[in-house]
Amino acid sequence: MKPIIRKALKSSLAESLATPLSVDHYLGLIDSKLSVDEPRGRIAEATRQTPDSVTLTIEPNDNWTRPAPGQHILFGIDLDGVRHRRCFSIAGAPDENSLEITVKRNGDGAVSNFLVDNVEPGQLVYLTHAEGEFYPNASPPARALLLSAGSGITPMMSILRAWIAADELPDVVFMHYARTSADMIYEDALDRLADEQPSLELVKRFTSADGRISADTLDAAVPDLDERMTWLCGPAGFMDSVQPLLDARTTKPVFREQFESSRREAAHGEGEVHFVQSDVAASGDDGSLLEIAEQAGLNPPYGCRMGICHSCKCRVTEGTVRNLRSNEVQDIRDTDIQLCIHAAAGDVAIEL
Amino acid sequence: MGRPTHLTDADVEQLGAELDALREEVMNSLGKEDARYIYRVLNTQRFSELAGRALLFAGILPPAWLAGTALLSVSKILENMEIGHNAMHGQWDWMQDPALDSATYDWDNTCPGREWKHSHNYMHHTYTNIVGMDRDVGYSILRMSEDQKWHPAFLAQPLYVLVLAAFFQWGVALHDLEWERLGKDKSYAEALSQGRDIWKKVRKQVLKDYVLFPALAGPMAPFVFTGNMAANFNRNVWSFLIIFCGHFTEQAEMFRIEETESETQGEWYLRQMLASSNVNGSVPFHVMTGHLGYQIEHHLFPDMPSNRYREIGPKVQAICERYNLNYNTGPFSRQLGGVAKRILRMALPHRRKRRGPMPSSIHHKQPARA
Ligand code: FES
Repeated sequence: MKPIIRKALKSSLAESLATPLSVDHYLGLIDSKLSVDEPRGRIAEATRQTPDSVTLTIEPNDNWTRPAPGQHILFGIDLDGVRHRRCFSIAGAPDENSLEITVKRNGDGAVSNFLVDNVEPGQLVYLTHAEGEFYPNASPPARALLLSAGSGITPMMSILRAWIAADELPDVVFMHYARTSADMIYEDALDRLADEQPSLELVKRFTSADGRISADTLDAAVPDLDERMTWLCGPAGFMDSVQPLLDARTTKPVFREQFESSRREAAHGEGEVHFVQSDVAASGDDGSLLEIAEQAGLNPPYGCRMGICHSCKCRVTEGTVRNLRSNEVQDIRDTDIQLCIHAAAGDVAIEL
Repeated sequence: MGRPTHLTDADVEQLGAELDALREEVMNSLGKEDARYIYRVLNTQRFSELAGRALLFAGILPPAWLAGTALLSVSKILENMEIGHNAMHGQWDWMQDPALDSATYDWDNTCPGREWKHSHNYMHHTYTNIVGMDRDVGYSILRMSEDQKWHPAFLAQPLYVLVLAAFFQWGVALHDLEWERLGKDKSYAEALSQGRDIWKKVRKQVLKDYVLFPALAGPMAPFVFTGNMAANFNRNVWSFLIIFCGHFTEQAEMFRIEETESETQGEWYLRQMLASSNVNGSVPFHVMTGHLGYQIEHHLFPDMPSNRYREIGPKVQAICERYNLNYNTGPFSRQLGGVAKRILRMALPHRRKRRGPMPSSIHHKQPARA
C-alpha cells in the first residue's frame, strides 16, 4: 500500500465513512490480506523437512514490523470455518522480509496436524506483532550456548541467523536434542552453517541412540559452560531436567522460553463464577476461568490457552482470582485478566 | 405456565428434549459451509453498499439514483437483518472471527449494539410476548393484546403504526430508555447515561449518511442525501414489517406474567413456538429477512446460525404436528393481514380480557399424538 493511501485510509474521515464497520471490512473486498494496521500474510512456501513438521514461509503485508531474535507470534488460520490461534516462535532472521515458522505435529492438535498434513501455499493467515523477551541483549555475548530440544530449535535458529546476518556471530555451541536424525528439523541448514562458520560448534544428540541429556554429556560437550550465556528452549520435561544441571555449573544468565503449560498449577478453584452479560452462573471449582466459561456454553476468544497471547483477556467486574502460574491470589475490580491462566479463588463476576 | 390443555407435563418435557436434541445436532455440524455462507453475505452487502453509494454520486440521472438507492437499501437491509441482528445474537461466535463477534459487533443503525443486546436479546427473547415484560409487545406505544388495558389514545394507533414503521430504527434506538419506567423504578441518571450512548451512535450515523457522504459528492449532495434517506426509510419499513409478522399475527399468542412463572425449559420452548409466527418465502426472501421468516426457529434457538433455520424448519413443523400444536406460518400477505387486523382490533375496547386456557388448545381439540 502506498504511504499516502494508507494515510488516507487511516484518517478519521475514512473511519467516519465506514462507521460502524471499519475500513478493513471494505479492503477485504479487494484482498483479504489488506488491512490498515493489522499484520496479515499469505503462506508462500510450505516445506516438510521431517515427516512430522512443516516449515512455513509467510509473506506478510506491510503492517508487519520486524521482530527481534527469538520472538514469537500469535498465528491465526481459518480451519473449517473457525479461526484458530496458536503461538509459534519465528525461526527466520529478523531482517528478512518474510517470516518463517516451523510447526511440529503435536498429538491431536487440530492446527499443527492440519499444517503438517494439508497446508498449501496461498492460504491467508492472521498475524500479530512479534513479542517475547527470550533474547534481551542488544549485542551478542562473547560466548553462548544455545541448548534446545524438539521444536525448541526454532527460536534458536532465529537468534543464530540474526547473529550471522549482522556479522556478529560469537563463539557458539549449538546443542540440540532430537529423537533421531530424521526427526531433527533444521538439520541440513545447521550442518551447512556449521561448515561455513568456524565459530559455530554444532552438537547433535539423538536420544534414541545417545540417551537423554545428562551431567556427563553436558560436561563433555560444553566444558566451558560457566563462561557462556545460555538460551534454553524445549519441551517441559527437557527444561526441567536441564535447569538443575545449569544451576550447578554456571552463574551466567540463562534465558528460557517454554511453550507448554506444565508450569501451570493444577486448575481448581472455588466460589461461584457469574458471567454477567450472558447471565449464566457456574461453579468455579473445575478448571481455569476459560474452561469454566466454555463448559457453561460460552465461546470466549482464546489462542494459546497458556497465558502468552492475551486473546482471552476479559474484564472482571469484581472478584477474587488465583493466577495459575504464580499461584498468587488477588482481589480485583474492573480489571482485565487472562481467563486461561486464572481460576476463581472466591466469587467472580466476569463481563462475558 | 398456561399452556394448551391437551399436553401433560411429561409431553412438554419430551418436547423440550426433542428440541434440545435437534439443536445439538445442528450445532455440532457447523463448519466450512456455514462460514462460506456468511462470508458470501458479507461480501454481497459490502459490494452493494459501495456500488450503491457510487451510483448515488451520479444521482442527477434518475436511473442512477434509483439503482443507487435500491442497492444501498439492499445493503442496509442485509446488514441489519442477516448480519447485524444475527451476529449480535452470537450466531457466528463459534467462528472466532473478530469481525462477527457478538461482543463487539455494532450495526448500521441508530440503536447502539450494546443497548439492543439488552432490550432485544435479553428482554424480548427471554420474555417473548409476556404482556408487561416483553416491551416489544407494542413497543409501549401500541396495544397488541387484550391483556393490555385499553385507553382512548389507542384509537389512533393505526396512525402511530405508520409513523413507527417509517422511523423504525429511531423507535428501536429509544426503546431501551424505557421512558414509561422513568421516575418509577428507573432513575433519570441511568436513562441519561444510556441517552448519552445513544446520542454518540446517532451522531455517527447521521454524520455519515447526511453530512459526510453528501459533502463528498459536492454538487450532487442533494441526490446523495435523498438517496440515503430513502434507503434508511426502506430499511425501516422492511424491518418493521418482518418484525411485526414475527409475533403479532392473528394467531400469535400472548401470555400473562402469572402463566409463565417458574417455567421449565420445555415450557419456555413451548411459549416461544406459540408466540412466534413464520412467513413463507423463497431463499432470497429469507436472506433479506435475516431468516426471521423462520421466527419460530429463531426464537427456539436464537444463537443458531441463521442459514440453518431453513433446514430445521420442516423438522420443527413436524414436531409441532406431532404434539398437535399450531405451527403458525403463512404467506407474507396473509401474515401481514393478520397483523393489520390485530392492530385495528386492539385499537378498540370491544374485547374482554381472555380467560381460561390459551387459544392454541382451542384450535386443536384432539389429544396429543393419538
Ligand atoms: S488464551 Fe492466550 S493468553 Fe489466554
